[in-house]
Amino acid sequence: MSTISITASGGSQARRAPGLMGWLLLMPMVLWLAAFVVIPTLILLVYSFCERGSFGEVVYSFTWENYVRALDWRYLKILLMSVWYAALTTAFCIVIGYPVAWFIARADVRLRSKLLLLIMLPFWISFLLRTYAWISLLKAEGVVSAFLQSASLITEPLSILYTPTAVIIGLVYAYLPFMILPIYSSAEKLDESVIEASQDLGAGAIRTFFKVILPLTWPGVSAGVLLVFVPAIGMFAITDLMGGARVPMVGNVIQAQFGAARNWPFGAALGICFLIIFVAVYALLRERESKA
Amino acid sequence: MIEHPTMKTTRPLIVAAMLAVAPFASAKELNLFAWSEYIPQSVIDGFTEETGIKVNYETYDSNEAMIAKLVGGGGEYDLIQPSEYAVEALAQAGRLEVIDRANVPNFANLSPQYLDQPFDAGNKFSVPYMVGTVGIAVNTEKVKEPVAGYADFFSDKYKGRLVVLDDGREIVSWALAAKGRSINDITAETLAEVKPLIASWLKNVKLFDSASPKTALLNGEVDMGIVWSGEGAILVQEDAKFAYILPKEGAHMFIDSLCIPKGAKNKAAAEAFINYILKPEVSKIISDEFPYTNPNLEARKLLTEEQLKNGASYPAAGKLETFKEIGEVSSLIDDLITELKSDL
Amino acid sequence: MRRTWKLPGGMRLANALCGGWTVLVILFLYFPIVFLVVYSFNSSRLNIVWESFTLKWYGELLGNARLVDAFINSVVIACSSTLLAVLLGTGGAWMLYRFRYRHSGIIETAAYLPMVVPEVIMGISLLVFFKSISLSLGYTTVILAHATFCFPFVMAAVRARLAGLDPSLEEAAMDLGAGPARAFFFVIVPYLMPAIAAGGLMAFALSLDEVIVSYFTTSAASITLPLRIYGMAKVGLNPMINALSTIFVAITAVILIVMEISRQKRRPAAGA
Repeated sequence: MSTISITASGGSQARRAPGLMGWLLLMPMVLWLAAFVVIPTLILLVYSFCERGSFGEVVYSFTWENYVRALDWRYLKILLMSVWYAALTTAFCIVIGYPVAWFIARADVRLRSKLLLLIMLPFWISFLLRTYAWISLLKAEGVVSAFLQSASLITEPLSILYTPTAVIIGLVYAYLPFMILPIYSSAEKLDESVIEASQDLGAGAIRTFFKVILPLTWPGVSAGVLLVFVPAIGMFAITDLMGGARVPMVGNVIQAQFGAARNWPFGAALGICFLIIFVAVYALLRERESKA
Repeated sequence: MIEHPTMKTTRPLIVAAMLAVAPFASAKELNLFAWSEYIPQSVIDGFTEETGIKVNYETYDSNEAMIAKLVGGGGEYDLIQPSEYAVEALAQAGRLEVIDRANVPNFANLSPQYLDQPFDAGNKFSVPYMVGTVGIAVNTEKVKEPVAGYADFFSDKYKGRLVVLDDGREIVSWALAAKGRSINDITAETLAEVKPLIASWLKNVKLFDSASPKTALLNGEVDMGIVWSGEGAILVQEDAKFAYILPKEGAHMFIDSLCIPKGAKNKAAAEAFINYILKPEVSKIISDEFPYTNPNLEARKLLTEEQLKNGASYPAAGKLETFKEIGEVSSLIDDLITELKSDL
Repeated sequence: MRRTWKLPGGMRLANALCGGWTVLVILFLYFPIVFLVVYSFNSSRLNIVWESFTLKWYGELLGNARLVDAFINSVVIACSSTLLAVLLGTGGAWMLYRFRYRHSGIIETAAYLPMVVPEVIMGISLLVFFKSISLSLGYTTVILAHATFCFPFVMAAVRARLAGLDPSLEEAAMDLGAGPARAFFFVIVPYLMPAIAAGGLMAFALSLDEVIVSYFTTSAASITLPLRIYGMAKVGLNPMINALSTIFVAITAVILIVMEISRQKRRPAAGA
């Protein structure tokens, strides 16, 4: 890489074809990805076709039984329920988060950074601690229960803890900032003249929203969906704590295979199925995005 | 600043250096893998003070989880705390070290009642830690009717007021006992037989918890629970409104032991720890905090009358059975419980 | 250049409603946190009724060797993995920007994958990987795991910043006789510093808070704070956790405010 050739190419130097040095310098990252992303996934794939040893470890003999079992109705049902809860969580996050993201994006510049700070601060505090707070708050003899009872809104102690409702509350609370931020960054780039144009053409506020604003902020929303929907399916910690181990989600079942249920190959198969869902969602979102 | 070609070529060196200096197990360490809520912190600290050995204490709340981590992957432990059937399984698979009795002279303190059991004849691989049962804890202020066994416990009038252990093997054993079978009689057929019963039972459960079921009882979230006897004893001590009973249909008696996994790096430290635990004063501390049945006769001499009278810690005779290792059938139990839980 | 624009009537109402909603959401977000902080000073164990003011839980917290050990572990792991993440992410972003590699699309997608793949999958795949190369679990495995899912965040931040890089900057440095390496370190890196700092901070926070990946890749000796808290939360409620939360809140607030002030100082008039 001589200085002469660099100055000669001028502004297009930023996208030159790499020489040996260029490839060599990229190698560490490529190797890292190969070692810690690609190979582990391949190993998982191999395991998913293996049989189970007496203690649940992997025995290298080919079998379809893990996938047959994974696609069995009882596990499919859990998968569908997990997807359902994750979808609910995502929907709530969008509905709750979108107006907030919009408001911050449209707000005065100085106010904006302070609001962002306010939204981000809870995210920085461990989600476990915040989930723990909800357990304290929602238990039958807790503060919320006492308050609702004294306000005569409910007659018996609150029994919301250890139900799917509690799990959804926990999940929405944990993932809300992940939805607000991408929508915000999308909304912030929105050129207001487009909105003005839409109104000049006679569209009311609601039509403008659905026909103009929403499609233009779609990249933000889809980024938020990707950051919320798929992780929520596999988030077993919150389900465990707030669901009282009553609500088995896919994340819990997978975790159990590497734990108490002692069946690594089956866990691997479930993991691969989960991965396929993820890839499908990702591809779907990317396709919608490129169409938009 | 750095003159040689960019950081990227030195990056692998940095990683290698970091891996090299990353803390690794020193000679004076003990990797302890035990049940949560079973070994008091003061006992661990006392051991470290006396011997200078640092204890890394990781916990689990089911034997299956422990075996999975031990055998399946990655975990390197020096001392584990399996229940009787787990000792059987691990010993049969050759996964346990023989304990050198010469290093554990305090073994003599143990009661012969719990020694030389079928799962480990001659106590080659295991030393009993604590003995207990799985029974029913009742908040008598909320539940005025007498509760004698599983049938009463799971009756529909207590719907949503129950906590039970999050342990598939346990749940199945209760159903088998209720049907008059041995709790070790686990086959595909017997599981099919008890499935409807368990299904009806689980609908009434508010939450599953093996780590600390007494918490929900103390909180008032639930009125009754199937809990470990030590937890039951704590409840009884905490508040006289709690009672602990052994189900009349039959209950599980467990013997938890200390074992050394094969290939443990700090075998000497592990044996020193076992010997330390068997000291009467130390064993007494354990009994104080976790009032299970203490198999250490010398330690029992140091306990108060109240402790010895606690029905949960030292139960009168009941219909008790230990678990035997069942092997592959355990995956059928998982399937069953997962399916039933997802129907809730 | 954005000019403030007049909202037509319907939109003005909508905006006001959004504003009110935002206030409610912020209250919702902070309610549990305020609760945690307030009750960390409550002498009663049960987190229900206010008994009296006390600092004893903080004392217990700091005296609890297991928690303190776990905290130190978490910090060590977070620092190490952030360092790795910054190196990987910055280097990767720069290389991909600088050169037009044949398969850059695939490489980039692979690089961003750890960011979006569900943590459970990452956890189990890394566990089976470490098992198959017989690497025993401990600090090393956790740090490697954390670095893997953190570095895409650094890479994304640096990439974004590179988009605004004036190409003549590097040119000028080279014209003055610097080789590509020196140009990189003395000109590009300082320019990228804000993005590296932002990405690094993000990586640090993510590593500190990580539960699921750590769960599968750690051992007793290297157990992290979130895992300890997870264990404690399952066993029951404990005001020490409240005290811990309060400390976290305080530290986080200070860091974020300091960051914000320094950002304002650098670019006073412009916004984001």
